[in-house]
Amino acid sequence: MDERDLFRQEVREWLETHCPVSQRQPIVREEQIWAGSQATFPSADAQAWFEAMRDRGWTAPSWPAEYGGGGLDPDQARILEQEMARLRCRPPLYDMGLWMLGPALLAYGSPEQKATHLPRIVRGEVRWAQGYSEPGAGSDLASLSTRALDAGDHFVVSGTKIWTTRADVADWIFCLVRTDADAPKREGISFLLIDMHSQGVSTRPIALISGESEFCQTFFDEVKVPKANLVGELNEGWAVAKELLKHERKLMATMESITEKVDVGLVELAKSRLAVTDQGRLANADLRARLAEHLMQADALSDLNELIYRGMKAGQLNPALPLTLKYIGTHEQQRKDELMLEILGADGLSMMSDTPELDRMVRNWAYNKAHTIAGGTSEIQLNIIARRGLGLPE
Amino acid sequence: MILNEEQLLLRNTVADFLNKEAPIEALRMLRDKADAPAWEPELWRGLCELGAPAAAQPEEQGGLGFGAMGMGAIMIEVGRRLSASPLLSSAIFAQAVIRECGSAQQIGQLLPDLLSGDAVATVACQEGTHFEAETIRCFRENNQLTGCKNLVIDAASADYLLVTALDRQGHLCIGRIASDAPGVAITPRQLMDGRQYGSVSFTNATVEEWLEGEQVVSGFARALDETTVMLSAEMLGGSRELLERTVAYLQEREQFDVKIGTFQALQHRLAQAYCQLELAAASVYAAMNALDSAADNLAQYASRAKTLTGDIYQHLSNEAVQMHGGMGVTDEMDIGLFLKRSRVCNQLLGDSAYHKDRFATLRGC
Ligand SMILES: Cc1cc2nc3c(=O)[nH]c(=O)nc-3n(C[C@H](O)[C@H](O)[C@H](O)COP(=O)(O)OP(=O)(O)OC[C@H]3O[C@@H](n4cnc5c(N)ncnc54)[C@H](O)[C@@H]3O)c2cc1C
Repeated sequence: MDERDLFRQEVREWLETHCPVSQRQPIVREEQIWAGSQATFPSADAQAWFEAMRDRGWTAPSWPAEYGGGGLDPDQARILEQEMARLRCRPPLYDMGLWMLGPALLAYGSPEQKATHLPRIVRGEVRWAQGYSEPGAGSDLASLSTRALDAGDHFVVSGTKIWTTRADVADWIFCLVRTDADAPKREGISFLLIDMHSQGVSTRPIALISGESEFCQTFFDEVKVPKANLVGELNEGWAVAKELLKHERKLMATMESITEKVDVGLVELAKSRLAVTDQGRLANADLRARLAEHLMQADALSDLNELIYRGMKAGQLNPALPLTLKYIGTHEQQRKDELMLEILGADGLSMMSDTPELDRMVRNWAYNKAHTIAGGTSEIQLNIIARRGLGLPE
Repeated sequence: MILNEEQLLLRNTVADFLNKEAPIEALRMLRDKADAPAWEPELWRGLCELGAPAAAQPEEQGGLGFGAMGMGAIMIEVGRRLSASPLLSSAIFAQAVIRECGSAQQIGQLLPDLLSGDAVATVACQEGTHFEAETIRCFRENNQLTGCKNLVIDAASADYLLVTALDRQGHLCIGRIASDAPGVAITPRQLMDGRQYGSVSFTNATVEEWLEGEQVVSGFARALDETTVMLSAEMLGGSRELLERTVAYLQEREQFDVKIGTFQALQHRLAQAYCQLELAAASVYAAMNALDSAADNLAQYASRAKTLTGDIYQHLSNEAVQMHGGMGVTDEMDIGLFLKRSRVCNQLLGDSAYHKDRFATLRGC
């Protein structure tokens, strides 16, 4: 056995011991453990699982141990991921700080910022929100107008952000703000960390087509923000913003693993509800072909991820490849959702039936429509693939 | 799933050789020759000197031990240049059939000449649109064989044919028949890709030996899947070449005072095709890996690779023609050669619809 096999064995045993059986099922939205001062646990098992992972630093497996992370190298982190998937362990913690801000701070944060914020993220003590988009700045993010004025030892921030996911329950928000109104668009932007409990911050929830209200409009009315909360250099926030977006897109490509996991085997679902031939095949040949297409694409996507991982390790990765993942992953998810809805037929036309399982599936179909919009729309992804990946002219 | 140092070296060596000896103009010349040979002997000799036909086979069996990953890498390069040779028919398909279905003695006698390229063989297994064990209408009677096969690659140029047949008990067996044996009639046909195929009819044709026994059914299925994966690798190479040529054209051609590559309608179509191409590529590499690791669900990998490369090759060839404008429909542009090759490849060894259906069945749909 080499070192990696030993590690795998250790991980396996540890998970077997520490992951309660109730935490080894597909996650549903009500039972996700979100970080923050308002965090609640759906059950004692869920809390035990979260705390075990937290104490091991495995809520952030590859972050350095000095910030409370697991300190795992990429191979080890992958082994942990695989073993968790094998046991179907639920993600122990949900938070945008964990997914996005943390990696960006590791790259751009000052030593003080890292020491202050990272351990609290690992421990799930703070819930973060993302303040990028504005009513007038969506895809064209760099045209944002929320401004931060220099007032000596602090900034004064005024303006509004929109589509801010769960800003109503967040403790902190990372924001892009304009600090130089005269510079070219991308050169007058700074990256600020703002305490949501500050004077002058307010939120207004927005209802979604899935029946939830996940996101808010967030208002800043002359909010005082200490200068120590500036990440990176003044007016150089765009670089931090882009680093963070890289992580956001990576996450979105595999959204299925972190959002509510409706573990529908489409084939079983179809065969249990629709006509089947004597040979045990779906009688609807057209649906059968489209199901096969979806399964092929899904298999291919998982192979593509594997290929990227191996290519990266061997130092022979074509940099255009990872650019494709968000586009492919989110569209495949939606194709799967549409197949599901089609298979459910009339049973899939309500989000308020008396079968919670069914409702959940339908709500996800609606919810997942957001995946090709959030984190950079599909069209923006295609622009990036065409220009940066293929080298087509601007 | 990715090429190791040695396999990369092999790929580069073959690529250099093909650039010199078998660029696309070589296919053009071959196509236009009066006697329409299946390949240029010179080119084949060169490939054999490089060891290409022996690339996949393990060293214990007299090969170079680069595995399916190595052979696949060669086929990708072949696909980029549309190089005509009996690599697919003989070095891949016939070798695999002998290795998987033959007795130890047959392997010892037949394989070395195929590895060195001194002999060229081809497999005749298709009677309809793809191989189907249940519907074979070629029959074995003692040491004779009767029936018809179609779309046999390089049929008229091979030294011998490996022919699927059923014996009296209905068992699958494979007859080895010299191309010039009495009772064999080959009707050669040049298809739109400029390559040679043949319909072959056997009338009490004399079989030199039978590959027979229990291993034949699964062995032949495996050989067929292996060949399907290698053909997919060729198709991947062709698709990549089409994308790169089209991107290059979009970077250079100007209309309305700008490069046509600035038009978002074209950018998005190519970006989408690129995503699909990389999914197909990942499927091909995964399938080559499945071959090298003797995965038990090889059939699924093979059908996925063939379907996804088939679909993207066809799609990109259409897009390439369209985005080259009027130039795209001229014979002078190489794009048309890829367009035609893609259609032939799609039909060889079962088209996308067939493989999608097979995949659906394997996955219980
Ligand atoms: C569920 C969800 C959660 C979100 N969470 C957050 C969050 O927490 N924080 C945050 O800051 N933001 C968040 N967003 C906002 C998200 O980043 C934006 O919605 C996204 O960037 C698109 O901006 P927009 O909605 O203004 O659409 P627009 O930019 O107005 O786009 C409208 C349409 O025009 C197309 N379009 C725009 N520009 C181009 C172009 N150059 N070429 C071709 N087509 C183009 C788009 O692709 C789209 O189809 C979230 C969004 C969703 C859906």
